[in-house]
Parts: sequence; C-alpha cells; structure tokens
Amino acid sequence: MGNNIPSFLLGSSSQQPLQRGGGKIGFPFLEKGVDHLASIVKQGYIQWEYSFRNGFFQRVDARVKILFLLFFLLIVSVKKEVIPEVGIFLFVLMLTVLSRLNLLRVYKKVLLFGFLFGFLIALPSALNVVTEGEILLPIGRLSKSYRVWIYHIPQEIGFTKPGIYGVAMLTMRVINSLSLSFLVLYTTPFHEIIRALKILKVPNSFLLIISLCYKYIFILVKTIEEMHLAKKSRLMRELRPAEAREWVVSRMAFIYRKTRLRCEEVFKAMTARGFSDSLRFYGFPAMGKYDWAVTSLFFCLGIFLLWI
Amino acid sequence: MDLIRLENVSYRYYDHIPALCEINLAIDKGENFAIVGANGSGKSTLLQIMAGLIYPTEGRFFFQGAEVTEKALREKGFLRWFRQWVGYVFQDSDVQLFCPTVLDEILYGPLQLEMGDEEALDRASQVMELLQIEHLKDRPSYMLSEGEKKRVAIGSVLSINPEILLLDEPTNGLDPRTQVFLVELLFTLHQAGKTIVFATHDLELVGEMATRVAVLSEEHRLVRIDRTENILSDPDLLLQVNLIHEHVHRHGPIVHRHLHFHPLPHQHEE
Repeated sequence: MGNNIPSFLLGSSSQQPLQRGGGKIGFPFLEKGVDHLASIVKQGYIQWEYSFRNGFFQRVDARVKILFLLFFLLIVSVKKEVIPEVGIFLFVLMLTVLSRLNLLRVYKKVLLFGFLFGFLIALPSALNVVTEGEILLPIGRLSKSYRVWIYHIPQEIGFTKPGIYGVAMLTMRVINSLSLSFLVLYTTPFHEIIRALKILKVPNSFLLIISLCYKYIFILVKTIEEMHLAKKSRLMRELRPAEAREWVVSRMAFIYRKTRLRCEEVFKAMTARGFSDSLRFYGFPAMGKYDWAVTSLFFCLGIFLLWI
Repeated sequence: MDLIRLENVSYRYYDHIPALCEINLAIDKGENFAIVGANGSGKSTLLQIMAGLIYPTEGRFFFQGAEVTEKALREKGFLRWFRQWVGYVFQDSDVQLFCPTVLDEILYGPLQLEMGDEEALDRASQVMELLQIEHLKDRPSYMLSEGEKKRVAIGSVLSINPEILLLDEPTNGLDPRTQVFLVELLFTLHQAGKTIVFATHDLELVGEMATRVAVLSEEHRLVRIDRTENILSDPDLLLQVNLIHEHVHRHGPIVHRHLHFHPLPHQHEE
C-alpha cells in the first residue's frame, strides 16, 4: 500500500501559520435547531432524575397521581372565585416543595406559559369594548363613541373590573393546570405514567405506540446531533443558508429512510418475542397504606375545595 | 510543542451526565496514539473535544499552543486552519456521509478549500484509488456495505489532507478483510508523517498499531498513559478498567480459568 499513497498525502498542505480573524461566523439556524433538540434530551433526563428522588409525591402510586391530576384539573375548571384558585396554587406549591423539585425550574415554565396562554391571550377581553363594567384602568379617550356591526366602542376605553377579574381567573386556571401537570410529570417516571393510563381504559396498543414514540424520539435526537457534529467536523467556512437548507432536506430523507428501516426491525423484534395482535402489560402491584392515606387526603381536600 | 494538550478537561452531557473527569493529556506530532476504555468510559467524547466538535465543561484544550474554544472556532481564519489540520472519522459512517454520491463526498473537502475543479477531481481520484472505491464513485451512500461506507468516510477526510486523523472505533463492525485493509492504511499514513489518534476497546488493534496508550476508567478518569507494551503487559490495570475479564473454558479434558485477552500469554493448568 505504501507505493499507492497519493503524493498530496505525503506532503503537508496545512502548514500555513494560524491567521486569526477574517471575520466571525454567525450562529446559524442549524445550530439553534440542534441546541433545541439537545434540550429535549436534557429535559427528559431531568424529569427522569426528579422522578426518582425521595420526595412526598414520588412515593405515591402513579394511578393515584393520575386520578389526583384529573380530579384537581376538574376543580380548577369549575371554581369561579379567585380565592380557591389561589388556595390550590399554594397547595400545589407546597406539594412541589415536599417533592424536592427545583422550584425555579418548575415555576419558570409555569409562569411563562401562564403569562403567554392565560394573561396575554385573555387581556384584550378585559377592555370595556368586550366586557362592560366599571372602568378601573382607563387607557385612552376617543372623540366620540362608535357602533360597528354588533359592537359598541365607547368614548372612554379602559380595563373594567369584571374584565380584570375574568383575566385573573383565566390566568390562575392556566397556572394551576400547568403546575398540577408539571408536578405529576416531574415526580413520575414516564413509563409509569403510561401504565397508569390503563385505569382510564386507554387501549394497550395506544400505550405501546406512545412508549415506542417516546423512546425513539431520544434515539433520533441523538442521531441528529451526531449528524450535525459530522457536518461540523468537515466545515471550514460559514455555511450559506441555501447550503444549510439543502443539508437539512438531505438529512430529513436520511432520517425518514432510517426510521422506516428501524420500524421494520422493531416489528420483527416484537414478532420474534411473541407479539401478536393483542398486547399485555405488566400490571401494578396492590396499593399500600401510604397510597390509600394520600388518596383519602386528596379526595377530602378536593371535596372541601368544591364545597367552599 | 505538543500538538494536542488537554488541561483538567471535564465534560458533562446536558450539564448532568458525567462523561470525562479532569483529563490531562498531551500528544506529540507524528504519534500513533490509542485511547482505550470500556463502553461509556468517555473515549468518543474525548476524541470529539480534540476535534473541536464539543467543548469542555471545565478545563482547557490547546491545539499547537492555541486554545480551542467555541468562540475561537467562530473566527473564519481559526476555523479553516483548525479543520485543515484535524480530520475526524466517526464510528457510525452513516452519520458522516451526507453528499449525494461517493464522488461528491470525497470532493466536498477539497472544494471547500477553494481548490480548482481539476485539482479537486485529481485528488478525489487518487484517494478513491488508494481506498479501492473507484467503482463506487457514482453510488449514493445508502447503497454501500458497512466496509465500503467506512472507506468512503475515511476518504472524505483524507481528501482534505489533515495532519492529524482522529478515528472513533475504526474497526468496529467491519469484516476481517476490511479490518486488515484499514490497519495497513493507517500504518501507511502514519509512516507518511500523519498523527493518528484512535479510540477503541479492541486491545488487539492497540497492540498492532499504537505506540502510546491512554487508559480511561469506567469512572471517566484517565488512569494511565504509557507505552503500549507496558499497558498491555499489565493485566491488573486492564482488568480494573474492564478491558479484559476472567473466564472459564475447556481445552479437551482440561477446564481452566484465565484472563480473556489473547495477546496475554497464559498456561494451561494440569
């Protein structure tokens, strides 16, 4: 082989001295996209780590947690006063602390989504154009009032008392629903959540598909990260947007092909282990005293919140 | 001056999962260097840091005395200089091949170096001839066998003519003939003056190729750097880092127990 080695490989083409500068390479959309994908894996890992901590809620049976989530989501939706909603918020906050979750991590998301999907979306409805009532916060004055189709635009525009109350209610409901969901998600391993859905009579085939999807998302994300690194290892200049798009399209085709092959392989592996058209899952063990005590506590508290 | 120097390098995946702990390492120009360790010990992560693909969570990485950081690799001049010096061959060739055909793969590097079409084609032909893949030049990568993909992946890096080649598990999953071909190729490249650094848990490959070896433990730490013969003649160390194991087997009527690593001499007990 020694004789076949090309002459250019025997010489050194890369002995130019390092020349710093030449401009900066931007942070292209590809890098941002791969960073976001990496954060999916990171979130999955964090969730898995939290769910195995020795906290109050982690010790509770997953079935109890699913029923608790549904029951309290119902209570959050039917309550019409802000005070009970604040009470539920404080109760979930207490459970989050007892479960040894990172308050900042959980509530950063809860408050962000609460602000976006609760407060910001509902805010226009607090104007007297939509909700009539006593104006608490005037924001402008027109020369006269208008009537457009079925809408009446008053001369003085501002946020009304019932409007603000409605926005506060909706925001609290969104925040409470999210904090309840995050509490259950962060304190329960994903596979147990899936199995616990059986008590809601979700078909086994559906549960199997969700489990497989969840698992293969991580595998595909890892593949995408590696492909990105492979590209990076041979990149000596800034990638033009058109080149980046071409690469993304070619890689999408590759991922599609790989996914299809993987799908066939998984099916063969399942068949080889006795898979037929019916599926059976390993059942849950009987609930212990702790689980029954927590169930009773949550049930009584829920009834009390419904009653007040 | 060291070609590669790592000072107290640690790396954690997703800020949580430890992959490397306080690695101090230096590699000279022209070395044939192996990084060995059990699965999950951090070999690939270490190679990827050396290739400037990921950056240490803690510690510093220097290439020819220049610190390699994310910020430095965003400088056009530094990026071009570094990538021309360092070539990286991935364990999974599938992720490395992204061009429509084999020829496009080999041409990708030279064209990026702004080489003329004729010169780039000439270089690609020489690389394909060396790797015996001329007959595959119009094929897409998904129509190649694993061995062929590995040859194309190596060719795609060789066409840039890097001075240092980093290879992650180069012989993994290859048939014996391709393995022999690859070992011979790496030998030839080393003799031509290239620096070869490869990660593996195949001790036979280490014995055949490397002159110096770094051993990583399952706790992601560097436990020893030494000459290959010293590492391979230390079964306690290899046992400790899970690179060899004890097993029982039968030779005719004799059942005996020994460390499972063929280059290590062992005697049958009567």
